[in-house]
Amino acid sequence: MDVIQQRLKNFLDQFLPVTDAEFEMLWQLLEPRSLKKKEFLLQQGETEQHLYFMVSGLVHQYFYKGKEMVSTDFFPAGRITGGVISFLSGEPSYYTLQALEPCEMISLSKTSLEWLYTVNKKWQKLARELLITYLISQEKEIMDTIQLTMRERYVQFSRSYPELLEKVPQRRIASYLNIKPETFSRLKPLLKNG
Amino acid sequence: MDKYDNIIPDVALLSKISGYFQQFLPLSIPEMAELARYCEIRRFPKRTILIEEGETDDFLNLVVQGIVMKYIRMPRGEMILQLATEGHIISAEISFLSRQPSQVIIETLEPTTLISLSYDKMQEALENFSRGEELGRRILENMYVKKDEKKYAWLAIGVRERFIHYMEHHPHMLQRVPQKYLASYLNIKPETFSRLKHLTRKRPGREKEVI
Repeated sequence: MDVIQQRLKNFLDQFLPVTDAEFEMLWQLLEPRSLKKKEFLLQQGETEQHLYFMVSGLVHQYFYKGKEMVSTDFFPAGRITGGVISFLSGEPSYYTLQALEPCEMISLSKTSLEWLYTVNKKWQKLARELLITYLISQEKEIMDTIQLTMRERYVQFSRSYPELLEKVPQRRIASYLNIKPETFSRLKPLLKNG
Repeated sequence: MDKYDNIIPDVALLSKISGYFQQFLPLSIPEMAELARYCEIRRFPKRTILIEEGETDDFLNLVVQGIVMKYIRMPRGEMILQLATEGHIISAEISFLSRQPSQVIIETLEPTTLISLSYDKMQEALENFSRGEELGRRILENMYVKKDEKKYAWLAIGVRERFIHYMEHHPHMLQRVPQKYLASYLNIKPETFSRLKHLTRKRPGREKEVI
C-alpha cells in the first residue's frame, strides 16, 4: 500500500475499520484528479457527480450574495470535498468550489458509490457513520454561530485549524466567520495572548 | 389479530406514515409492517417539553400530526432552530446520535402524534431490518441536506425574500405558530416580521385573509 492509499484507509478506518480486501475493491473504482490553482472543481448550478478525497492542496467553497463572495468552507488535505449537498440531493449546487492552491485528489463517482452500496452492506454502514459525524459537526457549527461571540468564534477557529490561518486569505476567513474585515484585524492579536 | 396491531393499530395511520417514508426510500407494505415493529406511536398535548436541556434524547421522531419545535434558551428568549410539521423529522440530533446531554429543548406547540424510533430499537433495526442500513443512510442524508439548505437561506437570502419564500412554502404556519417563534426561526426581528406580514395578504387565492 502506498502513502496515499494508507492515508485514505486511515481516514475510512476512523468511521468503520475496512479490511484490505474491501479497501482494494474501493481502490479499483477511484481515479486521480488534480486542479491547478484557481481552477474550479464545481460551479454554482452544476450537479455534483463525484466525491473527492483531498490528498494535498486546498479547496475553497463559496457563493455570491450580490457582489459579495461568502465563504462557507475550506477543504485541506485529509478531508472529503466536492459539492456534497448537490451529490446527495441530486439538485444543482448553490456553492462553487475552487482551488486556492494546486490540488491532488482522488475521486469516486456516484455510479461507483451506488454500486458499492449494492455489493456490500458495509459501505452503507460506513457512509452512515460518516454522515453522523458530518451531521454532528454541522449542528455544532450552527450552535456556535448562535452562542459564541465573534471573539470566541475566532479563537476556536484558530485553534481548530491553525494551518488554515496560514494559508487562507484573511478576508476569506473573516467572511467564513461572518466577521467584518476591519473587526477581524482587531481580533488577530488575541491569539498571541491566548 | 395481527401481531402488529398493538403497535400500529390504525391502517389509515400506517398508510399515512408509509407516505412520509417514501421521501427517503420507497418501501413495500410488508417492509413498512416490518419497520413498524421497531417504532412506537407517541401522543402529546400541546406545550409539552419532550427533551429538556441536559437530558439525553432517546428518540428520533417523525411528525405524523402537529408541530414540534427545537430551540435553545438565550438570555433574550428562545432561539428557534426548527419547526417540524407533518412529515418532518425532529430530534435533538447531537444528543441522540452521540448519546450526550442535549443543549437544545424539544417542545410541542400543538397536540402532536409522533412515530418514534428509540436509539436501541434503531440499532436493532439497522442490524435486522432488511433495508435498515439503506433507510438509515437516506434519513441522515436528508437531514444533512435540509440543514444545509436552511444555513444557505440564512446566509444568502435577504430578510424580505426569506419571509416571502417561507410563507409561500408554508402558508399554514402563520396561523399555527406564534409570531415571535416564526420570527426567531427566520432570524427576522419581531418588528420587521410584523411589517412584512402585509405581503402575505395581497396574494391571489388568499381572499379570506384580506381585511
